[in-house]
Amino acid sequence: MSSERTRDFGRYVAAADDDVIICRCEEVAKGEIRRAVRDGLFTVHEVRRLLRCGMGLCQGNTCARLVRGIIARELGVAADSLVEATGRAPARPLEMRVFAREQGL
Amino acid sequence: MTDTFDVIIIGAGVIGNATAYYLARRGLKVAVLEKSDHIGGGASARNGGGVRQSGRHPAELPLAMYGVKNLWPNLSAELDLDVEYYRAGNLRLGKTGAHLDILAQLVQSAEAGGLDMRLIGAVEARGICPGLAEEVIGAGWCPSDGHANPLLVTLGYYRAARRLGARFISGAEVVELRKIRGRVAEVVTAEGEIRSAGRVVVAAGYESRKILSSVGLDVPMHPLQVECLVTEEAPPMFCQMLGTAMADFYGHQSRHGSFVFGGSHGYEAHAFYGQPLGTSIAASSVCRAIIGYLPALREIKIVRVWAGWLDECADHIPVIDNPAETPGLTVACGFSGHGFGIAPVVGILLAALATEETPVLDLSAFRYDRFRAQV
Amino acid sequence: MTRYDLIVIGAGPAGLSAAAEAAGAGLRVAVFDENAKPGGQLFKQIHKFFGAKEHKAKIRGVKIGAELLAEAEKRGAEVFLNSPVAGLYKEREILVRRGEGVGHYKGDAIIVATGAQENMPAFAGWTLPGVMGAGAAQTLMHLHRVKPGKRVLMLGSGNVGLVVGFQLRQAGCELAAVLDAAPRIGGYGVHAAKLARTGVPFYLSHSIVRAWGTDKVTGVVAGEVDGGWNFIPGREKQFEVDTVCIAAGLAPATQLLKMAGCAMRAAGADWLPVCSAVGETSLPGVYAAGDVSGIEEASSAMIEGRLAGGAAARKLGFIGPDEYEERRQVLLAALASLREGMFAPQKRGQISAQTDEGIDLSQTLLRKGYLEEGEVGKYPGVKPAAGIHPVIECTQNIPCNPCRDACPQGCIKVTGGIAALPEYDDRAGCAGCGLCVAVCPGQAIFLLNEDAGDGLAEVTAPYEFLPLPQKGELGAALARSGEKLCPAEVVRVKLAPAFDRTALVTFRVPRDFAMRARFWQKEAAA
Repeated sequence: MSSERTRDFGRYVAAADDDVIICRCEEVAKGEIRRAVRDGLFTVHEVRRLLRCGMGLCQGNTCARLVRGIIARELGVAADSLVEATGRAPARPLEMRVFAREQGL
Repeated sequence: MTDTFDVIIIGAGVIGNATAYYLARRGLKVAVLEKSDHIGGGASARNGGGVRQSGRHPAELPLAMYGVKNLWPNLSAELDLDVEYYRAGNLRLGKTGAHLDILAQLVQSAEAGGLDMRLIGAVEARGICPGLAEEVIGAGWCPSDGHANPLLVTLGYYRAARRLGARFISGAEVVELRKIRGRVAEVVTAEGEIRSAGRVVVAAGYESRKILSSVGLDVPMHPLQVECLVTEEAPPMFCQMLGTAMADFYGHQSRHGSFVFGGSHGYEAHAFYGQPLGTSIAASSVCRAIIGYLPALREIKIVRVWAGWLDECADHIPVIDNPAETPGLTVACGFSGHGFGIAPVVGILLAALATEETPVLDLSAFRYDRFRAQV
Repeated sequence: MTRYDLIVIGAGPAGLSAAAEAAGAGLRVAVFDENAKPGGQLFKQIHKFFGAKEHKAKIRGVKIGAELLAEAEKRGAEVFLNSPVAGLYKEREILVRRGEGVGHYKGDAIIVATGAQENMPAFAGWTLPGVMGAGAAQTLMHLHRVKPGKRVLMLGSGNVGLVVGFQLRQAGCELAAVLDAAPRIGGYGVHAAKLARTGVPFYLSHSIVRAWGTDKVTGVVAGEVDGGWNFIPGREKQFEVDTVCIAAGLAPATQLLKMAGCAMRAAGADWLPVCSAVGETSLPGVYAAGDVSGIEEASSAMIEGRLAGGAAARKLGFIGPDEYEERRQVLLAALASLREGMFAPQKRGQISAQTDEGIDLSQTLLRKGYLEEGEVGKYPGVKPAAGIHPVIECTQNIPCNPCRDACPQGCIKVTGGIAALPEYDDRAGCAGCGLCVAVCPGQAIFLLNEDAGDGLAEVTAPYEFLPLPQKGELGAALARSGEKLCPAEVVRVKLAPAFDRTALVTFRVPRDFAMRARFWQKEAAA
């Protein structure tokens, strides 16, 4: 479905919990995510590319749902209308030397 | 009633967004239509971030040099976003005599284009980037090359263009361009919406091919799937862009501290096209290449591997042109995997083409009709 | 490249069941798990499972895990531990860390049974050491034998919060309170009642405002929330705790499915693979089973695993269509019966006011975790009777019936579906064996002898704390609310192999307290 990216969000109202850390791997706070949405970043992928939330060692396993919820609330839509970030290999961090050593080929 | 714009740009990648920004800065009414639900989700968000002049095709070198001289240094200030641009040089490493021969050719080509690049020995190379493997015997060195964060550049242009009033519509797949009285003037989306414009710019990567076919244009290109990986963060180790004579890997350490590397396993041209899914073999082969040049990175952890495809043009350079047979249409595609580093200058050039001004650089090498029968 | 007929990712309830089912059909099966021990969450489930016989009801999860592992291995499945799967690729290939390298393995079919991960709410201080998932606390207790803390606050009153809360008490932790932002307890009433009677308070419509502490948590400010989940000013409460457990639900661990390109769909807050009834994803030959395909109980995960394992066996030609269909129908019926009752996944978010039998649900149970003394009598398991008899305080429709099968006298009826409330049939005559008390996974059955002489009554309650009391030991009788009623002497402590380590503690209280006293508490050492 097409999505118009020009939108009037009104004045930014700071929330008491804006400085709460949402992505603990990359230390991204809630207020940063809210501001990014207002700056036109409407999807989980876009916010993560701008702010790195969900790009740390745990790969968003902890914060994915939180980030999705914050974006949805800021946009005034249901969280289930937002696509989750994709999964990437390796599912668990892997040392370069281990990755480089393919066994039993 | 249809929406009418001065310029409609198809594709919200780094090229489309940069063009939108430079056009919006001129006060034009601009719309950007993006097929995906995400802005900058294609190759713009998936490349290795090189801002490189060395190793360029001679036709592209002036564009790359113009960008490094005039645009990249001020880009963060211009976009109100630190895009993590480093002008710290590019080291292209060699381990054998054959490698040094390849590097010598690159140096020769750079010199011919007026670029400062030279061949250096192992000691000097290790002075620039400590931690190189013992086997490295020399390198090509271009001190004015560098890297930037492609995610931030792409979204930075988007944000800045949007702030200037450019309208972006995601999830809007263009299925047809229509000529009105001989001029490309309408854009039709899969949802059946029709928008009019004085000028249409197609900057949709490989997907441009299908869109252009609706007005009888074809650019000879094919998708090439490549993969990149990123490590956990580490203390600063080197700030150059690294590559090799064999092009088996390239990469840099980002501001964040993670290393971003790309590379090839040789089967890229045969990958399935259509879903940017990684393969089970790419990361291992890139890791072997990296360890061969940077043994100190053996223990660092890979946290993410991703794939994307590039629009590989038949002669490995893009089409940047207003084709004669399609008045009202500007084409920018076929960047062949080296579009990111020249994206800002291409944005300026496309803004000029879209407003039918004379571009600051000669674009004749990028004409659409170079593949056509010459009468 | 090593090839298997079936590769299963995850050795939890779904994965081991899938492996057992498929290996039983003759498939060459490999199971990969990142942990050092197999069983997934099962080895942390020290409580008895709900359900019917075919769901392994009344057996403790840890034992089910051991049984499943033995079954899978006996049938020839190879289980690889310490083997995290790094990648799943659409060619049905996986990349696995094996020791100091990676291996490529190919499966003609692949079953992804990677389970779930815990949801975390974000409040100020949630990153402090001492704030942990309830599952993490379970891992500490049951795998590493480490007490998570001394005094714990539990956020979340779903079954995970309630079960782990009880386990924390069993491990010797104090449980300061159970909070939930919702206005009702989310998990089974019987699980809540188990906690409430040991004196744990419930605060519904409450959430954490912030946790404080410098190097680690030393306390929490909780606040009451309104219907819109906003904190009501002035309604804060402080808890001095060194540990905060979060049981805010689970999220399917779908990374591998997404990476392989399986089609996904939104289902409320969850992001789930699009699956057929037997778990096949949009990638032919790639299945999802257990929590990764949608959060449910381990009991359903085991059946989903078997369904997927059977489907893979059919697809790869190891079993014929008739054999497959017959088995599939049995499994689908077992799964359907687990999804009966008021906690069924399809009823999530709905609020029942009455049981299926038309009895009003206890609102006190939903808000405070215990039944009011005046309302106990309206449920069919509670009938006044002379002599020894069971009192079945099972008041919600949950799919569970081991009590019926346990009673050798046939005193207990569960009629009209597995989720019906058990009924005490006093015509059969209770022999006082206590099997029903021991098997009830909700610890909701008590034996009562209202006239034990001397104006005293005897209450027999399930007891799962160590050390066990001694005969003659004096302690306190607690009410359902955890309120201390009176001193109470233990007159019997019964342990039988059939009780599976649930002790039956009989204590004496004045007759007036017979229908009130539901827990015997050891007196703190002076």
